[in-house]
Amino acid sequence: MTVILLLLILILAVYMLCSRDLLHGIIALSAISLLSALLFYLLHAPDVAITEAAVGAGVSTVVFVWAIRLTERKDCDV
Amino acid sequence: MSNPTSWRVRLQILGACVAVTVVLLPLFLMDNDWPVAGRDYLEARGREDTGAINLVSAIYLGYRAFDTLGETIVLLVAVSGTIGIAARAGGAGLAMGYGASDNSARRSGAGAVRDQKMGDGEIFALPDEKRKTHALRTHLLEVVTGKLGPVVLVFGLYVMLYGHLSPGGGFQGGVVIASGIVFLALGSRADSRTGLNKASTLACIEAAAFLLLILVPLSGMFFVGPNGTRGFFANPIAELDVLPAGFIILLNAVIGLKVGAGIGFMCVAMLGKEEKA
Repeated sequence: MTVILLLLILILAVYMLCSRDLLHGIIALSAISLLSALLFYLLHAPDVAITEAAVGAGVSTVVFVWAIRLTERKDCDV
Repeated sequence: MSNPTSWRVRLQILGACVAVTVVLLPLFLMDNDWPVAGRDYLEARGREDTGAINLVSAIYLGYRAFDTLGETIVLLVAVSGTIGIAARAGGAGLAMGYGASDNSARRSGAGAVRDQKMGDGEIFALPDEKRKTHALRTHLLEVVTGKLGPVVLVFGLYVMLYGHLSPGGGFQGGVVIASGIVFLALGSRADSRTGLNKASTLACIEAAAFLLLILVPLSGMFFVGPNGTRGFFANPIAELDVLPAGFIILLNAVIGLKVGAGIGFMCVAMLGKEEKA
């Protein structure tokens, strides 16, 4: 189970780095946070799981989406 | 493959691999046992020393409360800096309070009925005339977040107040409360407004909680605790048999209110900017 979760996190992280649509990247980042929260819970660290779910999936997503709204959604080559 | 971009990507991948190796290799090569002295001490003494069943709370509010004060100050500075930068980048609107500037902008716009009695509370629901252009902001979002918000707030209060018994604590509960505030702000309609979206309310809660966080530990300097200890962050009620974890509960509540109000204020202020852009 742990290995499956870690593999999913790895795949999502690579997708997040490669995606040109930054909003998709943020959703992937949020999903990574949720999966890591599940991972922490399975590893008997419920305190860390609550923090990860609330901060990673909740607050930081709001901050990133706000930043995208004020800048641009699509990535572009420098 | 003489493209400079591909070389840059390869160099980045190589750098990442080297960094991971440098961090992880000592862990695999190490043949020492993990240190167990602190763990065993906490398992044996933590509960009777602090009264908290949750040993994480016992550490960060019982043994290491002064570090927690430092973390709280770090968070306070981070929130202040974010608001300050956002206010400077977006003009004076945020600095005056996001409610005030939005009200004037909206009053001068196409008049909706609800604008007449608007205080400094903020409504983040999309006006009807903008519904056609914003296809992703459906009514579904507002209904779900509006109904879910109070539940999340209650859950945050539970996590905050029962941090000494169950997983959680001040920081965790505070962040959950901040999520609840964001939910309420997203789901607020014209006819259902909450005072939790007001900048002034959130700022007052945060300031009062921080003042309490400074004042409450000072009480330890005037009451003699167990073993004759006294000083900043000493537990003045540790010898009472009624509620030995009362000091931890109090600190958890204060920290939770401070963190929730601070992060909620930051997020709600950012949402207000988003609506204007």
